Amino acid sequence: MPNLRDIRRRISSVEKTQQITSAMRMVAAAKLRRAQESIEAARPYAERMRNTLSEVAASQTDAAHPLLVRRESVEKVEFVVVTSDRGLAGAFNANVLKRAEAMMKKCLAAGQTLEITTAGRKASEHYRRHRPDQLVESYELGGWISYDQAAHIGRRIIHRYEAGEVDEVVLVYSEFVSILTQRPVSHVLVPLAAAESAELVETAETSDLPPHEIEPDAEKLLALMAPTAVEVALYRALLENQAGEHAARMTAMENATRNTKDLIERLTLEFNRARQAAITSELVEIVTGAQAVE
Amino acid sequence: MALELTIVTPEGEAFASAIESVVLPGTEGEFGVLEAHERLLTALQPGPVEIRGADGAASQWAAVTDGFVEVTGEHVVVLVDHCILAGDIDAATAEKDRAEAAEELRGLSGAEENETRREELEKAIAIAEVRIDVAGRTSA
Repeated sequence: MPNLRDIRRRISSVEKTQQITSAMRMVAAAKLRRAQESIEAARPYAERMRNTLSEVAASQTDAAHPLLVRRESVEKVEFVVVTSDRGLAGAFNANVLKRAEAMMKKCLAAGQTLEITTAGRKASEHYRRHRPDQLVESYELGGWISYDQAAHIGRRIIHRYEAGEVDEVVLVYSEFVSILTQRPVSHVLVPLAAAESAELVETAETSDLPPHEIEPDAEKLLALMAPTAVEVALYRALLENQAGEHAARMTAMENATRNTKDLIERLTLEFNRARQAAITSELVEIVTGAQAVE
Repeated sequence: MALELTIVTPEGEAFASAIESVVLPGTEGEFGVLEAHERLLTALQPGPVEIRGADGAASQWAAVTDGFVEVTGEHVVVLVDHCILAGDIDAATAEKDRAEAAEELRGLSGAEENETRREELEKAIAIAEVRIDVAGRTSA
């Protein structure tokens, strides 16, 4: 027969777990709201930067900037894998890592060599175990994403690309689709995607306003803008990852809280049964005791 | 019609208002923008921005990092990494940032792999210096 005290102890332990998971859910919800605001705040800058870059790129056709041009042979690919620092967020990080792994296998099969940069402790830990030779740099995200962090990582990637250490940079991160959906996505970060530059030129041409006077000249301005565009793309990935992390944790903790509720219900039932069984057996003992005396 | 100035950073809009004129720290030198300025796209370097408010209001100062500016007939859109208005600058913090960056820069060897870090520190020092400078300029 299950011991009454043991069951009671289990119930109180599950209740404590429930307190923690529901607190984490609420914290995640508050952080998610802030993370979504950051994404909103970043949007005007990204859009304007994109428009300006497209205009400058369109006005300058002869010598394109190295960050915009695809190299003829791509031998070395750098992967920038973005995850969260902390776990307890369901399959959020695992999905990104799985996606990255699939992409890496494809590159390796094509005879390309890899380099890995990670942002977020979960990715660093993963690759330190699984691909320690290819991991070149890893960053922790810390408390809250700032643009400077993205710029810091971006500058190093650009530096390696321009120095010819890598021929292509692929970014893998979680796109924040909605609170319930975070989708692992990957796209080429450097060179700034060919499809995108074509689109850039197109949108610039449809504008009916006269072109801007560009100072000092388009080539120099483009050289200053292209790295910023890379940084902005990276910043966006970090923000989406941040919002996705909190959304995933919120969902995971909601499920966990629900599970603790079910568990408590079941344990309470078991407790009551055991209590009644104890009372019954006690009664039987008393009754038999009384009968024996008669 | 007045001129409309918007300063946008990746972390949000730092300033948006109708103004009389603005002086910006271009890479080719400081330049002022008045209403009906020709359409212009150019780069900025870290420096002070002087904003003269509409209706003859007093000048306001802000410190910006490097970035870009787009000028059209009635809009000036400044795209920078960071922008702080003079009133929000904490000179002590800026001074501390400058000292820390300078300290690290001195300790850095001339090795090639430190090049990116060195550029960053030099930029950080320039930005901190602008902030210190701008912090002293009240709206006089």
